[in-house]
Amino acid sequence: MASAIPEQRPVSIGEALRGLRHEAATYKGILSWIATVDHKRIGVMYGITAFIFFLIGGLEAMVIRIQLAQPNQSVVDPQQYNQIFTMHGTTMIFLVVMPMSAAFFNLMVPLMIGARDVAFPRLNAFSYWVFLLGALFLNFGWITGDIPDSGWFGYAPLSVQSLGHGMDFWMLGLQILGISSMAGGFNFIVTILNMRAPGMSLFRMPVFIWMTLVTSFLIILAMPVITIALFELGFDRFFAANFFNPENGGDPLLWQHLFWLFGHPEVYILILPAMGIVSEILPTFARKPLFGYPFVVFSGILIGFIGWGVWAHHMFTTGLGAPANAAFGVSTMIIAVPTGVKIFNWLGTLWGGSIHLATPLLFAVGMVAMFIIGGLSGVTHAVVPSDFQQQDTYYVVAHFHYVLFGGAIFGLFSGIYYWFSKFTGRMLSEGIGKVHFWLMLAGFNLTFFPHHMLGLLGMPRRIYSYPEGMGWDVYNMISTVGAFVIAASMLVFMFNFIRSIKRGRRASADPWDGRTLEWTIPSPPPPYNFATIPVVHARDEAWHRKYVEDDQGRIVRVPAGAEHDVESHEAAGAEGHHIHMPLPSIFPLIAAIGLPMIAFGLTYYQDTHGEWALPLIPAGVVVLLIGIFGWGLEPEAE
Amino acid sequence: MFHIKNSRTRFGVMSQVARRLPLFLLLFLLLLAVGCETDNPQNTFAPSGDVADKLRDLYLIVMWPLIGIMVVVEGLLVLSLIIFRQKRGQAVPRQTHGNTRLEVAWTIAPALFLFVLAIPTITTLRDLATVPDGDVMEIEVTGRQFSWSFRYPNEEITTTNQLTIPINQTVNVTTTGVDVIHSFWVPKLAGKADAVPGRSNAMWFNATEPGTYSGQCAEFCGVGHWEMTFTVVAMTQSDFDNWLRDQQAGNPNSNTSDLTWHPEE
Repeated sequence: MASAIPEQRPVSIGEALRGLRHEAATYKGILSWIATVDHKRIGVMYGITAFIFFLIGGLEAMVIRIQLAQPNQSVVDPQQYNQIFTMHGTTMIFLVVMPMSAAFFNLMVPLMIGARDVAFPRLNAFSYWVFLLGALFLNFGWITGDIPDSGWFGYAPLSVQSLGHGMDFWMLGLQILGISSMAGGFNFIVTILNMRAPGMSLFRMPVFIWMTLVTSFLIILAMPVITIALFELGFDRFFAANFFNPENGGDPLLWQHLFWLFGHPEVYILILPAMGIVSEILPTFARKPLFGYPFVVFSGILIGFIGWGVWAHHMFTTGLGAPANAAFGVSTMIIAVPTGVKIFNWLGTLWGGSIHLATPLLFAVGMVAMFIIGGLSGVTHAVVPSDFQQQDTYYVVAHFHYVLFGGAIFGLFSGIYYWFSKFTGRMLSEGIGKVHFWLMLAGFNLTFFPHHMLGLLGMPRRIYSYPEGMGWDVYNMISTVGAFVIAASMLVFMFNFIRSIKRGRRASADPWDGRTLEWTIPSPPPPYNFATIPVVHARDEAWHRKYVEDDQGRIVRVPAGAEHDVESHEAAGAEGHHIHMPLPSIFPLIAAIGLPMIAFGLTYYQDTHGEWALPLIPAGVVVLLIGIFGWGLEPEAE
Repeated sequence: MFHIKNSRTRFGVMSQVARRLPLFLLLFLLLLAVGCETDNPQNTFAPSGDVADKLRDLYLIVMWPLIGIMVVVEGLLVLSLIIFRQKRGQAVPRQTHGNTRLEVAWTIAPALFLFVLAIPTITTLRDLATVPDGDVMEIEVTGRQFSWSFRYPNEEITTTNQLTIPINQTVNVTTTGVDVIHSFWVPKLAGKADAVPGRSNAMWFNATEPGTYSGQCAEFCGVGHWEMTFTVVAMTQSDFDNWLRDQQAGNPNSNTSDLTWHPEE
């Protein structure tokens, strides 16, 4: 898009608003959300949906913790327990951390690169609707009683032999979600590569944009791997194929290789966005640029590459043999280096700064502090022989919760506190936010630190109950108490969120003295984001518009009047260029509806009274095609 | 003025660290407590066999330096928040963009540390992959939903959910699964060997003290996974010979007669 604007020309507000009026005239109320292609609205919908699933996944976690609080309990039965931990893991990974990251990609990428929207706004809407419908499909078992029960990594042959439709919902649900992720991945790669404001070279991009780019590449390369694995599982389940059946020449380990070849890059898909968010927040609140920007960027890229060479560290006890185990142990150690580099650079960013201890910073520092622990316990897993003891114990549960909750979730919360004002025009309460932070930090450590001890004391993961006398009682009780503290912290957060939307302090365009482009436009931003596409002269562009060095080399504010800020943007003259805004469309939703129809058909048509389901398959294809054709034929913009 | 401000800051640092001290101490005590609870039946820190011993030692070699790194890095993080906390009316700090030398240093340092860790990792892997010379007792372990069977191919007997072995005898287990994947694990004696249908996986270990060792399936295998426990009974060679004679004579009752074996005896 940059090339379409030969020079920076002011634009009339009236002209800029025409697209808006058109949207308002076409669709009103709820329909204006259903038909929206505005990246901000899609981002909000992603965020809210992901948060609702976070609550559901959290309730599942509470059931797990209550069941395990004491030995010999039977709050749920073993089958229900298996279903609940399967859904907890699947929900948290695919329906919470991934879409919450997608919410931030949607909300922030166009604003941070100075664009009016993503490259393919309708594809973006399609991503969201496919995600929503896939997530509902995955959870459909709660209504019919067929709930997935083979663990979130669905090891064959257990997942092939699982009775009922639970694993069908899991398998086809993940296929649908994969389509959503792929569409999003391509969209953000194209957006970032093609739609940056003039002057924003790759090495002037904010680190969050870099991490989004790396994550998007990981998504488009990793998703096909699990797609293949899930197709094979589908053939084994629906058509009695033998991909994973050793009696007919199949191999159960094939599933593990495919799943983890997807699964380990997936771990970085989950954590890199949070790392990107933290890399934005630490500089803002330390009032200092990110320390060693090139090192942070390249270590992120390196993680993206090496992430493909470590998958078998999930399989050390499957009998791969000492040479393979040694190789994957060493590659796992190697990936710790770029991860460590990021942590040291974050420390370097804080060091020598002027740190404003606001809630976004607290959560960001919490992320770094917890990620250090998770990273270090990860190193112990790379030491293969000692992993022979820790594999599949609560020690592993501790490790990945430190990385995914302590890392990803804390990072995402820091992003919520940081950018809340940009989209609501109001500030989250700092006081309540701090209560939330300390409760969540305490609850998190209370819950998951004892898991290290449980693992070392020999407690396997995924056991429904345990007898007395194993030495696990105290740690389990502490952990359960911690889980309630986390739950309490979430109530505090929700109270803060709802209260602040209604009655929060009004936010200025730039409440944190930010360094990136999103802080140069009003809060909330107009639908077209930038009245005039900004021209970027430096990394931390917004900062450089506000501060200069004086004669003595001190950093001082740009004198009033000379400041190139929101007001001057908005007061731009009357003559201007045409603002290219995509039109709303309901066809992405229609196309998305076709997918779960096909999936329902596949799930049920082989049942004894399942004839009714067969027509759903062609009907779903037709709906999908109608959606795609409508989408293609409808005029895309004014 | 400057002095007063400075000392106040320093006092602030100390009091803040002091406030956090109990938390750190608590975490350490919790961690140390694991090592003390030797009578817990699946404690990996209380090994009773040469393999589990090696694994514990290796873990400790790695754990202590990592705890050291954790304390230093977390300490620096907390310290930076305290020292560089924004003061009223403070000017904008110097806009440092990085320090190449420092960054190269903290790239190379962890790489070297991990290189050092790789050495015991690989040597231990090699040790575990080679069954020691001398007399080896072969056991074929089969996991099925939801029990374990142990076949002694040379002694021509099979037991269920209890593996009886002589002490100080190298035992080589070959694991496989019947229906789904299981994992053979006796934490006090050795690590895990997955029991995968259609494959066989091998692992050796021994027990250095007589006793009953608790084992458990470590790979989620379905609704009865949590109950898929078993025991390994290690006894002196002469007791084992008696047990074996009873078994071969078809007296399965003796299978369970030694469940209350006490290490002190």
